[in-house]
Amino acid sequence: MLANFTHLRTCSGYSFKYGTATADQLVERATEFGMSTLALTDRDNMAGAIRFVQACESAAIKPILGINLSFLQRKYRITLLATADGGLASLYQLLTAVNFAGGLLTHEILQENIVHTKKLLIMHGPDSQIGAAIGARQLTQGLSIFNSTKDYFAQQGIEVLSHRIRGDGPMSTPFAARMLTFARSNDLPAVITNAVRMLNRSDGPLADVLDSARNLVPLHKRHVERQNSEAYLKDTKAMHQLATEIAQAAGESTAHSLIKTTMQWAEMATLDPRRDVGIGKIHLPEPSVVGGKTQNDLTIQLKQRCEAGLGIKYFGEQSIVAANRLSDELATVRTLGYESYFLTVANITDLARSKSIRVAARGSGAGSLICYLLGISGVEPITHGLLMERFCSPLRNELPDIDIDVESARRLEIYDAVFEKYGRRVATVSMVETYRSRHAIRDVGAALGISPIEVDLIAKSLPHIRARNIAKALENLPELKNLKLDTPILRMAINLAQQLDGLPRHLSMHPCAIVLSDIGLRNHAPLEVNASGYPMVQFDKDDVEAVGFLKLDVLGVRMQSAIAYTISEIERIEGVQLDIDQISLADQKTFDLIASTRTLGVFQIESPGQRELIGKFAPSSFTDLIIDISLFRPGPVKSDMIRPFLSARHGLSNVKSIHPDLDSIMSETEGVVVFHEQVIRLISVMTGITLAQSDEKRRSLGTLDGQQEVCDWFYPAALAQGYQLDVVQEIWEILRAFASFGFCKAHAAAFALPTYQSAWLKTHHTAAFMAGVLTHDPGMYPKRLILDDARQWGIEIKGIDVNKSERTVTVEKVDVDQQVNKQRSYVAPDLNSTGRSLQLPDASGYALRISLADVGGISEREINSIIAARPFVDLADFVRRSGASITTTESLIIIGGFDQLHRIDQSHRVVNGSKGLNRRDLLLHLQDLYKLNGGQKVGESQLTLELLPPPLVAAGLPNLTAAELVQNEVSILGMEVTAHMLNFYGDFLNAVGAVKSSDVIKQRSGASVLIAGVKSALQTPPVRSGRRVMFLTIDDGHGCNDVTFFEDTQQSYAQLLRTSNIFLIRGAVRRTGPRGVSIRATQAWELSSAYNSWLAGNASDTDVSLNNGRNLTTMESKNA
Amino acid sequence: MFDKGIDSNRVLAPEGEPIEFIYQGHHFHIHAITSRWSESGGWWNRISDGNLHANDLLKIDDQARAVWRVEAAPVGALATFEIELDEVTGNWRIRPTSRAC
Repeated sequence: MLANFTHLRTCSGYSFKYGTATADQLVERATEFGMSTLALTDRDNMAGAIRFVQACESAAIKPILGINLSFLQRKYRITLLATADGGLASLYQLLTAVNFAGGLLTHEILQENIVHTKKLLIMHGPDSQIGAAIGARQLTQGLSIFNSTKDYFAQQGIEVLSHRIRGDGPMSTPFAARMLTFARSNDLPAVITNAVRMLNRSDGPLADVLDSARNLVPLHKRHVERQNSEAYLKDTKAMHQLATEIAQAAGESTAHSLIKTTMQWAEMATLDPRRDVGIGKIHLPEPSVVGGKTQNDLTIQLKQRCEAGLGIKYFGEQSIVAANRLSDELATVRTLGYESYFLTVANITDLARSKSIRVAARGSGAGSLICYLLGISGVEPITHGLLMERFCSPLRNELPDIDIDVESARRLEIYDAVFEKYGRRVATVSMVETYRSRHAIRDVGAALGISPIEVDLIAKSLPHIRARNIAKALENLPELKNLKLDTPILRMAINLAQQLDGLPRHLSMHPCAIVLSDIGLRNHAPLEVNASGYPMVQFDKDDVEAVGFLKLDVLGVRMQSAIAYTISEIERIEGVQLDIDQISLADQKTFDLIASTRTLGVFQIESPGQRELIGKFAPSSFTDLIIDISLFRPGPVKSDMIRPFLSARHGLSNVKSIHPDLDSIMSETEGVVVFHEQVIRLISVMTGITLAQSDEKRRSLGTLDGQQEVCDWFYPAALAQGYQLDVVQEIWEILRAFASFGFCKAHAAAFALPTYQSAWLKTHHTAAFMAGVLTHDPGMYPKRLILDDARQWGIEIKGIDVNKSERTVTVEKVDVDQQVNKQRSYVAPDLNSTGRSLQLPDASGYALRISLADVGGISEREINSIIAARPFVDLADFVRRSGASITTTESLIIIGGFDQLHRIDQSHRVVNGSKGLNRRDLLLHLQDLYKLNGGQKVGESQLTLELLPPPLVAAGLPNLTAAELVQNEVSILGMEVTAHMLNFYGDFLNAVGAVKSSDVIKQRSGASVLIAGVKSALQTPPVRSGRRVMFLTIDDGHGCNDVTFFEDTQQSYAQLLRTSNIFLIRGAVRRTGPRGVSIRATQAWELSSAYNSWLAGNASDTDVSLNNGRNLTTMESKNA
Repeated sequence: MFDKGIDSNRVLAPEGEPIEFIYQGHHFHIHAITSRWSESGGWWNRISDGNLHANDLLKIDDQARAVWRVEAAPVGALATFEIELDEVTGNWRIRPTSRAC
C-alpha cells in the first residue's frame, strides 16, 4: 500500500480561463482517491479558497492553500504555500500587497513583507526563472537566483514537474530530471507536483478553449499551449510512477526521497479549517472604533443609547413594555457579544443621516427594538408584533443580516464616508461571474474560428440561461431552428459551451455589499482594488459570512431618492420643512388614495397586480399595508391564501376560533397564517419553548425531513401542555401548510414604511411627489404614464424652456383659473364595501416643468453650461453662450424650448399659414447662425459670431401639426408633454368605435373590440410548448391593455409590433379571472397610418372595419 | 513501411508498459526505454478538414497517445523503435527509429 500522495499545486476554475474544474469537483476526486490532503493554488487570486476549504471540511480532506503568481517578470511563475503557523494571514497580506501594486510579485514587495514571507513556502518549478536558467544550462545562475530569495521564505524548494512532453524541454521528464539533479547537487529540497489544471484526462479540449479565450486567439497549432493531457488530478499510483520515472532519469534508484520531501511539505502547509482559515469565527470592529475601550464599555454605551431612544419614542404603559423588551434584547446581544455589531450599523446609519441621506433598514432587522431605538430601522416593532428572535438569536452562531436602503443617487457617498471612517476595517465584496449561455457560446465560437456574425446571432438569440441548458433551449425555441445549428462544427461548439457551464470567468464587485471587520481584516481575507477604485475582498458574500465579517448590504433605492427630492421640492415651493419619518401612520386620506388604486409611482403597490389587490383589500391601516405586501408574493398567490383572507376581512366568512390562547395570534390576519412571526408564536405558545427555540423549529419546517422531525416533537410537546389532540392537529396542519409560504413580517413592515410614506406624499404633495418620481424614475412605468397620471390629478405639464427648465423636474405654482389642463377624466371607483366616498387629492394650481435631463442626447456638460449661462435673450444668444451642441439645440427648438423666448404660440388651433413665428422658422434661423461661421457648419464646438446674425423672420413655413408635435416630444423626451398621444386621434377613435381600456372589462368574453394605445412593453417569453406568444402592453390614457398575439397572427404583425409605437388593434376579449381581462389580437395597424387612411377616405385600404359591420368609410361619411 | 502499425495484442505490456513485441514477423525484446512521452490535441484541425469523428459531437476525441521510445533486439540484434498506444482505440503502432532490422 502506497502512502497517499498530496498534490501541492492545483488550479481550479477560479484560475480564470485556465482551470477546467470546480474546487468541489477536485475535492471530490481527491476523496475518491483516498487522499488525505489537497492543495488549492489558483493563479493570481484566492477567490476559491473559502469554498475549497468548506468542501474539504465536509469531505474530511485537509486543505492546503497557496497561490500561483507571476514573479519578477510576467513570463515566470512561482507557487507559494501558506504554512500552518499563521501562514495564511501572511499569504493574504502578501497577495493584497501584490494586488495593490499591480499584480506582479517583485523583490521590493518581498522585502517590504518579509514578516509575512517568512511564513510561506515557495516552489520554483520549470516555469520559474530558475527553471529557465536550468533550461539554458546556466546552473550557476540558477543557484544565485535561488539564493537571492532564500532569506525571505520559511523554505524554498525546487518543484519537479513532468507532463511527459515530447523531447527534453520544460514539462518533459528529462527536464524534470535535470531540475531534480540541480536540487540534489546543491542540496536543495525537491518536491513533485503535477501542476493540475484539469479534473480528467479528457478535459483537454475544454482547456484549449479556455486558453484561447484567455489569450484571445483562435485555436491553431501556432498558439496552442497544451501539448498533451497530463495536467489532470492523477491518483497516488500514477504520481508515484511519474516520480519514479523522473527520479530514475536523474539517476536515483527510487522516488522515495522525492515523495518523502513532498509529503513533508504537505504536512508543513496543512491547515485547519477552523483554527487556521477561521471558518465560523467572528470579526467585528473593536470597541475603540465605536467609542469604547472595552467590551464592557460597549455594553454600557449600547444600553444608554437605547434607553435614550426609549425616552423619546415610548410613553406611559408602552414604555414599561418596551423597557422589558429592551432588557431581554440587550441580554441576548450581551450573550452573543454583538454590541459592536449594533453600534457599528447604527454608526453607519448616523453617518448617512449626518449627510442628510435618507436611509432605512430592510429585512428582519426591523424586528429588533434595539434597531428601532438606535434609528437603524424606522418601524416600531412592538405594536406591529415584530420579533427580535427572527433576526438575531443566541441559538444561531451567525451574525444577523441587516440590509439598509439608501437614496440610490447618493449611495457611493455612503461608501466614501464608511471607507473614510473605518479605513482598513472595511472593504467591498466580490462577486464571481460564471459562464452562462451567451458568454460560453461566444468564447467557444471565437476559439473554433466560427464567423463572429454567426456567433453573435446565436448568442443574442439565446435566453439568459445556464450554459449547460443550451441544447435544451435550442430544442424548445422555434426561432432558433432557422439558425441551422446542426452542422458538425456548431454541434461541437454547443457541446463545448455546455461544458463551460458554471466555470468562473471574472471577479467583479458585488453591487451593494460591504464588509466590516476588526483592524485585522487583511489577515482574514485577500484584497484587490476593483474597477471602481474601492478595496475589495476576493471573497464573495457567502465566503465573507463564513469567515465572520460584518456584512452590510447598502442598497440604492430610487424611491428613497424620489422621497428625498419630493421633500426638497416641498421646502422650495411651500417653505415647509417636512419630517417624513414623523408623519402619522393613520392618515385617512392616504388610505383613501390607496383604496382608489391610483397608486402609480407609489413604492411596492403600483403594479397592475398590486393595484387589483389593494382595490379588493382596501387597506385601512399600516398593519394592513404590511399584510398586503406579504400576501402579494408567488407563494400566497399560488396557494390561494388571499381569497380566504379577503372573504374573512370583508365579513363574508367568520374566523373560527381554534383555541382562545391562539386567538390573538390568528386574528391579526383573519385566521390565515401569513407571517413567520405568527408561526414562531404559535409554536412557542403551544409547547412552552422560548421564541428563539421556536424560530429554530420554524426554520426546520423548510425541509421535508425537518418537518417530520418537528412533527414528531410538536405533538407530544403540545399535548403535554394540555392542548387537546384536535387543536394540536389543526394547528399542525396550518404550520405544515403555511410555514413554507410565510413571510417575515419585519421585512414586510420595513417595506411598508416607504410604501406608506410615498402614498402619503402622493396624497398631500401630489405635484412634488410626481416631480420626484419623474426625476428619479423609481418604478416600473415609463415616464409618459407617470406624466399622464399627473395630468389626471389636475397638474399642468409645462414643456422645456431653456430659461426655466432645471436638471430635474420641478414644481411650479400656477393660477388655477388660467390653467390649461382642467379636464379630469378619471373618476374614483365606487367602494361598495364601505359605501363611503373617497377623499382624493386635488393638485390643480400646480405645474410640473420638464427637465433638461429629459432631452434625449443631452450631456451632463451641456446641462451645466446651459444653467450657468442663463438667462438667454434669444436663440442667437443661446447659440453663442450655452455651450450646447447644434443637435441638442435643434432638439430643444423642436420640443419648444424657445417658444417662450420667441413668443411662439403653439396652441393646436394655429392653422397653416399663420403669420407668427413658428419652430420651423427657428430651425432655419439656427442653420443661418451656424453658416455664419466661415460658411462652415460647426458641430459640437462653441461658436464665435463675428458677423451680425441674420434677422429672424417668419418665412411662412407651415407650423408643426399637432401629431408631429407629440411625435417629436415622444422621440426626444420619451414622453408627451402637450397631451396624451391618443388625444389627437380622439375623433378617429370615437368614429371607429374603439373601446377605452377602462371599459374593456365591461365587454362580454369573446366580444370583438377595437382598442388603441401606445406600446409600453413587448415581451416574447420562451414557452415550454415551443409555441411562441407575443405579449404587447399598450396604454391609452385610461389604463393599460394586455394583448396577446399567437403564432397565427404573429407572422403578419411581428415586424409592425417591433418597429411601431402606437397601435390600433382588433381582438377578442378573453376573461382571465374575475377582474382580469386580456385581448387576443386578430389584426393590428400602426395608428397614424390607419388615421391617415381614414382622413384620406380610403379606409378600405387599411381594412379597418367596425365592430358591428360598420366600416370607416360609412363612419366618415356620417361625420361629414 | 516506416509507419506500419501492428495489432495491439502483439505488444506485450502486462503492467501498461511495453516489454516485448512482434514487428514484421520478428519477435523483439525491449532492452531499455530511452524516453516516454504523451501527446494529444489537434482535435480542432478535424473541423476544418471536415473529418470529425462520430462521437466528437458527444465527447471530443482529444487523440491522446502515449509514446515509448525503446531499444529492442530481435534475437540478439539491437534496434530502436517507437511504440505508440492510441488510447482511444487501444491500437498500438510501432515505428523503428533506426534501420537496424
